[in-house]
Amino acid sequence: MFRYYLVLGLKSLRRAPVITALIVLILAVGIGASMTSLTMFLVMSGDPIPHKSDRLLVPQFDNGLMDGSYTAGEEPERQMTWTDVENLLRDAKGLRQTAIYGIYPTLDPPGDTVQPFFESGMATTRDYFTMFDVPLIAGSAWTAEQDARGADVAVIGEALARRVFDTEPAAVIGQRLTIDDRAYTIVGVMGEWNPTPRFDRVNGSDATGRPEQLWLPIRNATSREWRNNGWTNCSGGEVGPGYANFLKSECTWLQYWVELERADQRDAYRDYLKAYVAEQKQLGRMQRPENNRLHDVREWLDYTGVVSNDTRMATWMACGFLLVCLVNVVTLMLAKFTARAGEIGVRRALGATRAEVLQQSLIEAGVLGVVGALLGLGLTVLGLELINGRLTGAEDFYVMDPALIGATLLLGVTAALVAGLLPTWQACQVRPAIQLKSQ
Amino acid sequence: MLTMTRLSKVYRTHLIETHALRGIDIHVREGEFVAVTGPSGSGKTTFLNIAGLLEEFTGGEFRLDGVDVRGLDDNQRSRLRNQKLGFIFQGFNLIPDLNLFDNVDVPLRYRGLPAAERKRRIEGALAKVGLASRIKHYPAELSGGQQQRVAIARALAGEPRLLLADEPTGNLDSQMARGVMELLEQINAEGTTIVMVTHDPELAARAHRNIHIVDGQIVDVVKPLAQAA
Repeated sequence: MFRYYLVLGLKSLRRAPVITALIVLILAVGIGASMTSLTMFLVMSGDPIPHKSDRLLVPQFDNGLMDGSYTAGEEPERQMTWTDVENLLRDAKGLRQTAIYGIYPTLDPPGDTVQPFFESGMATTRDYFTMFDVPLIAGSAWTAEQDARGADVAVIGEALARRVFDTEPAAVIGQRLTIDDRAYTIVGVMGEWNPTPRFDRVNGSDATGRPEQLWLPIRNATSREWRNNGWTNCSGGEVGPGYANFLKSECTWLQYWVELERADQRDAYRDYLKAYVAEQKQLGRMQRPENNRLHDVREWLDYTGVVSNDTRMATWMACGFLLVCLVNVVTLMLAKFTARAGEIGVRRALGATRAEVLQQSLIEAGVLGVVGALLGLGLTVLGLELINGRLTGAEDFYVMDPALIGATLLLGVTAALVAGLLPTWQACQVRPAIQLKSQ
Repeated sequence: MLTMTRLSKVYRTHLIETHALRGIDIHVREGEFVAVTGPSGSGKTTFLNIAGLLEEFTGGEFRLDGVDVRGLDDNQRSRLRNQKLGFIFQGFNLIPDLNLFDNVDVPLRYRGLPAAERKRRIEGALAKVGLASRIKHYPAELSGGQQQRVAIARALAGEPRLLLADEPTGNLDSQMARGVMELLEQINAEGTTIVMVTHDPELAARAHRNIHIVDGQIVDVVKPLAQAA
């Protein structure tokens, strides 16, 4: 009978075409709006590195001045000073650790075909690639020795490799690229890597943005006296002239990450941070009361507001909008099913049980739901396209994965079935004797 | 085939009680063609609805083809209706967006017959009412008389034990009405029991027996002259 009811459901689409079109349209708009918001919310609130997100941690200290600017209980800085980065890297208390800051040097490709251009990049340590599962499709990260001495080596992205050298990634390894008038040897090429949301450097990089295409050893970048291309806070004290004084200052400008071997080592690392801050206090730094933090990836994304309150509010509002749409669909379905009371009366007279009328009506509502969901899916894709179009460098950031597509269809059918419950129940209550006489 | 004993029906609201049938006794034998007549509001449609298991009765007894229908739940009544009864309505009550084949198919679907058997019955029933060539047509493409023939085919396809007809010619002109009546007589002659509610004395006169209802009571049971002769 399911097939029979399905055919009847499809035929019913042609009946009362205006009401049917309105039901489908309202359902589609509701689903489109809610799924667009939900997709954005899920993408931004997803775990970008689920297998180790509880082992990748961001430490924070409060290194601000104990003066009029201090307010008890305020949040510590999200970034670190160079002094702390060097100390923590040297102590190496985690399985791996890295520090990151943004750079924006000039690239001068070999030959004359490509003109010199500015390129956003990152200065970091070799552990960065392993910690964040960065896929290298050719070569490898620079060595520990190159890391320590700040060698003139670079890892570049595949897109940059093809643009600059116009060849396959493997052929790029060992080639030289001039960066700010100095030749660097390419040691690795990164393949497709789209952590969603972008989490490795929330401060200074857009969480909806794509990773950079250029990485250099952090000590190479500091030796070249490159300033941070991103947020730098120097409210922690006076900064003397020159780059050397900047490095010694209490300016916070570096993102620091540590990877622990096991999640249960977190308390031990917290103890280490406590001891480190106590030691720094003895050296005259970190005058404020200890205010250390240690966030894992998900906590960090939450802490830094990657999923903004606006996104949360928009999602709730879209769900509310879907509810309003459903109320309208209920009304329209009541009208559609009431118009069919005569047919239901005939079917009941000819032997249909209430359960059979219920099945037929629910399948009919389900068919409307599927059509509405398919249209809603189209509207969702369109909505995400429009939003992606407003993002720079991330045209496919908000995309629906198969699970979300399935969820959209399921939402459509469920919404239609929920909206169809009252009309369907009413249809089951049709008294055939009355309907047959009134035909 | 159909036995009602002291059967009554009372419609109740919180203000009034309306006695639609007042303890009627009716017995219809197998193979009979019975006409039920009476003025508007006399209770003849209520009788037909109860006979067709479309409404419950308030008191008395009702046996349909030997089955005591009192106490049957809605599902059992639906099944009994589907297996033993055929309906012909004044307004035809065809489903407009189904073609003739699918309209006649409706009661057979609820009986769960296999596709081949349903096809055989549908084509046979439509052939019997002279509409075999219009199997893919829709009701709106047919005249009133033809639509009533489709309704008859739908009733016949289920091979009912009892055919209930409610003013079957009420919406037809005299020529079409004659054709439909001849068809009903032919069906009855082939063994199907028919109970027909009608206002039309001419049609009633062609039945084996007339039951006249006034104010919910049977006032007369007559054998028409044509039948008596």
